[in-house]
Amino acid sequence: MRTTLLFLILLVLLPISIVVQDQLPPIPPMQERIFLLPILFCFGALALPLIPALFFALATALVQGLALLQIQSGQIELGLVGPIVFFLGWTVILQMLSEATHGMRWEFHAFGSFLVTFTLLAGEFLILCVKRGGFPVDEMVLFRMAVPSAAALLIAPLLYLLLSSLVPYATEPVPGQGRPGFGNSGLEL
Amino acid sequence: MKYLQIAALVLLIAAAIFFSALGVGPLGRLQSAFLGLLSPLSHSGSVVKNSIGSLGTDLMTLDQLQSEYDRLLAENKKLRAENNGLRDLQQDNDHLRSVLGYRERSSFRLIPAVVMNHSAEAWWNTIKINRGSKDGIAPDMPVITDRGLVGKTTAVSDDMAEVVLVTDENCKVAANVEGTKEQGISAGARAPEGELQLAFLSKLADLQPGQKVYTAGVSGGIFPSGIALGTVKSFHARELDGEAILEPAADLGTLDDVFVVTGAK
Repeated sequence: MRTTLLFLILLVLLPISIVVQDQLPPIPPMQERIFLLPILFCFGALALPLIPALFFALATALVQGLALLQIQSGQIELGLVGPIVFFLGWTVILQMLSEATHGMRWEFHAFGSFLVTFTLLAGEFLILCVKRGGFPVDEMVLFRMAVPSAAALLIAPLLYLLLSSLVPYATEPVPGQGRPGFGNSGLEL
Repeated sequence: MKYLQIAALVLLIAAAIFFSALGVGPLGRLQSAFLGLLSPLSHSGSVVKNSIGSLGTDLMTLDQLQSEYDRLLAENKKLRAENNGLRDLQQDNDHLRSVLGYRERSSFRLIPAVVMNHSAEAWWNTIKINRGSKDGIAPDMPVITDRGLVGKTTAVSDDMAEVVLVTDENCKVAANVEGTKEQGISAGARAPEGELQLAFLSKLADLQPGQKVYTAGVSGGIFPSGIALGTVKSFHARELDGEAILEPAADLGTLDDVFVVTGAK
């Protein structure tokens, strides 16, 4: 029941995070944007048991993929395959981390948010390079990846605190069952 | 219980394969539905953001308020005096203003729209506007302001549309340079910086900073000819062609109101 409630809350927060990050002002001087979706995803991937976390990753991939979908001259530039593989892959990694540390910790959430944001932006850039041709890496491109990732690192503890207050048991082990993860799919909750 | 886990995993893999295999048509419709889902949230977010923004600008110290009050009092007296002499001209003035209004002046059929937000994306440069298919908006329609070209519509839902800006690498516009026979194709950079690159110009083009660049309006293209695109900032010859860096004509950083071109008058 607890897992279902947490899953539903996180699911509702997904589209809200897209709307909120669109409304947030860019970071001067290079007008970099703040991304909340990877931070929320990291929280879900660490807090939920494996199977619900994988479904949450699929939902995140759909939201992210549809928000970024660009159809130019009948061609899809960045479809849903990339985001689905990316978020499912990161869910497995974060679940292993959560399992290894026997619980969810804010430091891992913050560092995970940094890595997910950085690899997400780098992955998008690489796909664009493959699709459009060329590999124009310059200072601006590096800033575009580094600044939002650093922002995610700084914002993640705040979001962790907010979500922990909203769903107090999200970061606590399940009584009598230990920390949900690979050994515990969470479906029996 | 193990069967339940296996069933869940099979369902997950099936869903992942299903969404991965979607083609252009179904994906486009799914994106429109997604934009429709986000639309009420985006409208509310936009209203909240504007309210918060105006709250910040409205807060003043007592000294500032006193100074503002004195200034407004003096202005009020001045305007009242002027108003007595201008009352008769008010009707004519209103009429002339509407005649001179951009929508009326324009040779295009325009639908006014309000910019809801700049999308938070690193490699794409897009905005969302509060008009959609219910207002007659369709994908690939030019979007302009009274100062120049903004971009073109891409995904459209019932009451919201996404506009890819001219500073995006994907928004390619055929353009010509005022006072020359030079024609080129303009686009933004992969990591958009707010400038345009007008490529495929002649290597020997004699372009000077400040020269205006307008859309060329090629046949079968999206953008009609004669819309201001930008101003030349610099020009450099490359190995095979010349490239000019342009400052966009429309101020894309502070867009509030735009017009969607639905056709010619």
